[in-house]
Amino acid sequence: MSQQLNPHPKSLPQNEGVISNQNRSSSLPVEEGAGGRGKNSRTVLNVEKLRIHYATPQGDVIAVSDISFNLYEGETLGLVGESGCGKSTTAYGILQLVQPPGYIVNGSIEVDGTEVLNLDEEELRKFRWTGLSLIPQGAMNSLNPTMRVKDQIIDVIESHEGKQKDREALRERIFSLFQNVGLPNRIYNMYPHELSGGMKQRVCIAMAVALNPTVVIADEATSALDVVVQRIVAQTLISVKDDIGVSLIVIGHDMGLLAQIVDRIAVMYAGKMVEIAPVENVYAKPLHPYTQLLIDSIPSIKERKPLKITEGITHDPRNPPSGCIFRLRCPFAWQHCAEVEPPQIMMDDLHEVACHLYDEHFAERRANALATIANS
Amino acid sequence: MGGISLNYLVRRLLVFFLTLWVAATLIFIIPRLAPGDPIAAMVARLSYQAGFVEDSNAIIEGWKERFGLNDPVYVQYVRFLGGLLQGDLGYSMARFPATVTELVGRALPWTIGLVGVATVIFFVVGNLCGALLAWNRTPRLVKVMIPMSMIFTSIPPLLAGLLLSYTFAFLLGWFPQTYSYGFGMTPALTLEFVLNVIHHGTLPAMAIVLVTFGYWALGMRGMMVTIEGEDYMILAQAKGLKPFYVLYRYMIRNAILPQMTALAVSIGTLVNGVVLVEVIFNYNGMGTLIVTALREQDFGLIQGTAFILITTSALAVLIIDLSYPLIDPRISLEGR
Repeated sequence: MSQQLNPHPKSLPQNEGVISNQNRSSSLPVEEGAGGRGKNSRTVLNVEKLRIHYATPQGDVIAVSDISFNLYEGETLGLVGESGCGKSTTAYGILQLVQPPGYIVNGSIEVDGTEVLNLDEEELRKFRWTGLSLIPQGAMNSLNPTMRVKDQIIDVIESHEGKQKDREALRERIFSLFQNVGLPNRIYNMYPHELSGGMKQRVCIAMAVALNPTVVIADEATSALDVVVQRIVAQTLISVKDDIGVSLIVIGHDMGLLAQIVDRIAVMYAGKMVEIAPVENVYAKPLHPYTQLLIDSIPSIKERKPLKITEGITHDPRNPPSGCIFRLRCPFAWQHCAEVEPPQIMMDDLHEVACHLYDEHFAERRANALATIANS
Repeated sequence: MGGISLNYLVRRLLVFFLTLWVAATLIFIIPRLAPGDPIAAMVARLSYQAGFVEDSNAIIEGWKERFGLNDPVYVQYVRFLGGLLQGDLGYSMARFPATVTELVGRALPWTIGLVGVATVIFFVVGNLCGALLAWNRTPRLVKVMIPMSMIFTSIPPLLAGLLLSYTFAFLLGWFPQTYSYGFGMTPALTLEFVLNVIHHGTLPAMAIVLVTFGYWALGMRGMMVTIEGEDYMILAQAKGLKPFYVLYRYMIRNAILPQMTALAVSIGTLVNGVVLVEVIFNYNGMGTLIVTALREQDFGLIQGTAFILITTSALAVLIIDLSYPLIDPRISLEGR
């Protein structure tokens, strides 16, 4: 059983925290693309200026505000941020699944050169699951309780590839999907309520890769599970990803878990992307003040630390403050932050940050800020 | 898939028979608690109609002897239960020597046919309407039409029956006004007779369907809205399944389960409405029979019809109960 569960034990490093490159089996742009951003890897997903609002009687809530990022082939991107920062909305926006009263205001989502927002209804239906698939947030309730596990996988295959005449081959195909995620064949005829939480989550993973999609989005796929099952599911996720070679977006707020499985981390705050960086950089030298506070707040078993991001006020999401979104809570904010919205500044190949401190004009302030951090 | 264990089946059947026994006992006791003497009342009515009845006391005594009313109550009770076991419901007092079994046997098939067909129709139509009301792809026109057609739900079955009878039988003459088949026809399994029965049954069935389907549509709509918010609906959408497939396999399939429970509960209430509808259309079923029995103070027949109606309802509930594991895989009646 344990062998089945973890066919690629190396794919997940055993040590906690920051990990070395050798332990990661996937080919990363971080490792290869030293000469230029994404030169060696194709961009499979390109999100440009995506903006999503939720309509309320008191005005629109800005859930996602002009977010741009790329996902490279074979890469795992972690999307983190506190609850309500727009991580899941971003994912559902990419999947075209924003539920009313939410709606996409503008933006561009390109998957393998296909502009998702321009697809008509039938094209979108066919594009779903073959282009983008989802591992849902609540795997506990994400399977139809009145359908057998096999039927829920068969229906997605048949609705995209037509009626499968060779039932035996279809069965073998599902068995091999089960094998990928370490599920026993006996669950083939079972109903969801007969499975454990971890098994349901693995069924969702098997389902997500059934059609070999270009991009898989895992929306807090492990948050409802205990740490042991969480680890097994995360391992499964990574090994399946490596087997099939899909690109993966992992949404979560468990920084410890994400550090172990992702290549790059994108940090969101109040609907804005504040920093995108290779995972080592985020933990070793976070640039944005928000990321710094976030990393500083990761609990350690050696010392008790208070959560640092509690100072300052959170703004009303209907009326975001002018300039920088984080300035009300930022320890380094000054006049300029209220006047100009910070652009995404490229620090090095794959490290972007949206903060005025990294503008060359304010190098002096940056030096002071870094000194403050060093002293604290 | 759940199944039914022998143990559960036996226990469920025991409950069923216990229900029947309690019902039979109540039916036996209640008329005997009521003041007055039905036989004396009957003879008094006879003498009122005829002007004079010779030696009425002898007649009363003779009838009491004939019905065994002079025996101690427990002997009557045991005889009553014994009779029930053999399918003997006693005599109709007003139509002596006709037995209750005979009269019920003639009326019951018509009611079961009428109510059965009407139930299937209002359940299917009601749930379908409810599903369409909640589905986000239903044409706007349909979404407006369905609530409008539901105004009949607030009309009592009696009035709906009268309305239909007046419009389609009296004014338009499309359907016959009374009875379950044409006069002069002999019940037989011929196409002509079956069509005739359908022709006669349409209006009463429509009356029942009209006043009930809205209730089911609203219940179904509520369930569908709940289902729409379930996590598996988002996944179904993300999977790019065909919309119609999602409607019936993901939404209706899950929303129908509580509706089945509601159906089992509502069967008892359903009978109430049917009685009145049958009377309006002079349909020769159980409803008309009960009303006749009440009017004629025919205690034997009242007891018999009440018992049969309770038995039929209990049987319907039993069937729905036992079919649960077939429709909801989460319910297994094995090993309980």
